[in-house]
Amino acid sequence: MEVRGLGFRRGDRWLFRNLDFDLQIGDFVALVGPSGVGKTTLLSCLCGLAEPSEGTVRIQLPAEPGARPPAELRRHFGIVFQSLQLIQKASLLTNVLCGRLGALNGLRTLVGFPSHHRREAYALLHDLGVAADPEKWVCEMSGGEQQRVAIARALFQKPVIYFADEPVSSLDSYYAGRVLGRLQLEASLGNKAVFCVLHNSSHIERFANLALSLDPQDPTACRVRRLSARTEISPRP
Amino acid sequence: MNAPPPGSPSSLPLNPPSRPWYERLNVINVTLLIFLLAVVFSGASIQGSDRDLNVWQNLTNFLREFLPPDFSVLPRTIEALIETIEIAVLSTFCSIIISLLIGLGAAQTLAPPWLVVTMRMLLNLIRTIPSLIWAVIAVVALGATAHAGVAALTLYSVGYLGKFFSEAFESVDINVARSLRGIGADPLQAFQFGIWPHAKPLIWSHSIWMLEYNIRSASIIGYVGAGGLGLQLHAYQEFQQWDRFATVLLCILSVVTLLDFLGEWIRRRIANHNRNAPVSIAE
Repeated sequence: MEVRGLGFRRGDRWLFRNLDFDLQIGDFVALVGPSGVGKTTLLSCLCGLAEPSEGTVRIQLPAEPGARPPAELRRHFGIVFQSLQLIQKASLLTNVLCGRLGALNGLRTLVGFPSHHRREAYALLHDLGVAADPEKWVCEMSGGEQQRVAIARALFQKPVIYFADEPVSSLDSYYAGRVLGRLQLEASLGNKAVFCVLHNSSHIERFANLALSLDPQDPTACRVRRLSARTEISPRP
Repeated sequence: MNAPPPGSPSSLPLNPPSRPWYERLNVINVTLLIFLLAVVFSGASIQGSDRDLNVWQNLTNFLREFLPPDFSVLPRTIEALIETIEIAVLSTFCSIIISLLIGLGAAQTLAPPWLVVTMRMLLNLIRTIPSLIWAVIAVVALGATAHAGVAALTLYSVGYLGKFFSEAFESVDINVARSLRGIGADPLQAFQFGIWPHAKPLIWSHSIWMLEYNIRSASIIGYVGAGGLGLQLHAYQEFQQWDRFATVLLCILSVVTLLDFLGEWIRRRIANHNRNAPVSIAE
């Protein structure tokens, strides 16, 4: 990902400006800053859901020629929205399976999902500790459980880049560590990149290798710093 | 002694600030006022026959003709009742299919403005014509058969279901469908997973209500020859056989009451989202 001169203006106020950075496969970037500074907006600009006021974002995917704007590549992005955007009146399993909609034909999904997809989705729910009743509706689950379903949906999508907006805000420390560890593993071993809004400094230090901080006082003072304390994961033999 | 800080109990005035009268003129209060004025004017302008009638005596004499009901016509009535239910079921099914398509076109959140305006005009036009007039048109086109009843009630129901379905689609939070599009779903998938699960309970609830309504309507449209119980009702009324008329009314009452309880129970379950709860009549 190549970001050049990125800026976003809301009314007469710049949230961020002159933002330049490069993101490589394998990077886990923690997006940090106080509430209301523009982290969600920046994430939306990076994944093509919002149009920036100035500047460009170009992404080159592995095994695909040429860099392209993010709006053309959304199928390859796994997004965990801050408001989750789950289908409340559908089962946990269906919600996770929806992560793979982009890879399946609309007529195929009209009659259901392939059985190997169902097994894979169920395994992910099990991994995140929400597999007790996979046919339960999302609206019957707690906030933390819903958040884990949203993360399972993004993981099931098998994207190239993860964009996660406060993905562990409703989770206890055990599941927060487990979710972020899984995302870190995806980045390190799965040939992926992760962009994650985080508030907890111990999570940032433990899982991210880059931190992009936004400054509410000076929108041009956004900077990327490399974190040294990240636990390195060695590839499986 | 120091003055109390602002906001402390002793600095509060004795009475809360009062609002001027015109601030109470919100939409609810203004429409309520207009409605009450309309009631007063309507009551003053509608005139009776000015004849000296013994209303109570007339009513009692007429009702006495109904009792006791003549149950000798029960087998024929049940046969007609079954045809009435068949007309209602078939017309409700056809209207659900047509209304889903029209409802999608009439939903502001899903369709382009030109299509929304066209579909809403069409629905308004259909709703303008009462069911009995639709029945007359259908009898003229298809003859005095039950088919005419199905056609008439289908058209009539589309006017209402189309509107209800479009409102059901509009009530769904479109952001879920948008987010599914964001992760690569095509428009059909975004509808199937992002909109349909949320609209389905409302759509099913409206459909059950329409079925109840159509059973009542199917009993009437026979008056103009469109099949069902209405044909019998019309004949007994013509020959002033009110005891037989009462038997037909009792049959309609029992079916409508049964369906009303069943519909209410289903709608309540839908509203409570208790999809996983065991089915219980006691609820």
